[in-house]
Amino acid sequence: MNQSQWTIAGHEVVMEASPYGIEKKKLGIWIFLVSDACTFGAFLFAYGYMRIGAPVWGAPFGIPSIVNGVVMTAVLLSSSLTMLAGVRASQAAQKASVKKWLAATMILGAIFAALHLREWVSLIGEGWRLFANPTGGPAQFGATFFSVTGLHLSHVIVGVIVLAFVARGYNQGRYDQSHIETAGLYWHFVDLVWMFVFPLMYLMNAH
Amino acid sequence: MSSHRELTMGSYVGIGVGLMAIVGLEVIFTYQHLPPRTLLFALLCLACLEAYVAIMYLMHVKYERPILYWTIFPATLFVLLFLCYLFPDAFRMFNMRLMK
Repeated sequence: MNQSQWTIAGHEVVMEASPYGIEKKKLGIWIFLVSDACTFGAFLFAYGYMRIGAPVWGAPFGIPSIVNGVVMTAVLLSSSLTMLAGVRASQAAQKASVKKWLAATMILGAIFAALHLREWVSLIGEGWRLFANPTGGPAQFGATFFSVTGLHLSHVIVGVIVLAFVARGYNQGRYDQSHIETAGLYWHFVDLVWMFVFPLMYLMNAH
Repeated sequence: MSSHRELTMGSYVGIGVGLMAIVGLEVIFTYQHLPPRTLLFALLCLACLEAYVAIMYLMHVKYERPILYWTIFPATLFVLLFLCYLFPDAFRMFNMRLMK
């Protein structure tokens, strides 16, 4: 039933403004991000729990891995800035500029994923698996490292795909500035999670 | 979002550089051979600082109505902090292993 039909039926339609002063989709993404933060929190907590409970842990990351991690951080942070530039361009209705900045964000996201996979391939080459430790110590390092970083990597890959869809929709006029902003919030969250994953998974396991 | 109060793109680049500097500080701390607990505390403090800056400026929470902040963050922090409630059990496991 639409508003005119309600009026005909003699009822008042009460349309209260959102107390948050933001669009529904933006509030929706915030609620999703809160639940996702709890998921990552639980994963990182499980890692801490297993690490405390294990008599030995090991430190598999040498300087090359840490340098790789720093480069990955720089790439992801840069992608957050290009995303911001994309959001600002969409607010200014600069369609060509939005396309350019979103493409840059997707490329940086893809570079991050490639660097991440290179790290994984290197660890797998050394014999690390989900349930195997080549140094003879507890296998939990592989389990926690691959699950936490795998969850984050899947978020990056999903983010790149979402950005591609949103950019395409924006270009075709199906999506507006609020869609870009919502996708941007998700992308910044992925960056935010990495700020905890990098020190806890890489730096705490450096030798 | 009230965009008229927003920072310029140059300021955002400055924030990005600042966040990278914090990452650099984290790496420096890592190679100072600090005791694990001290290192963990330092890294978590720096990560929380980075997260605060990212949430406030990159995710624009600073420019939203305060009710958004007060609805979302205390509850999320409460959940995340209470996950730590089980950590003593991890120490118990560790001590049980040592007793064997």
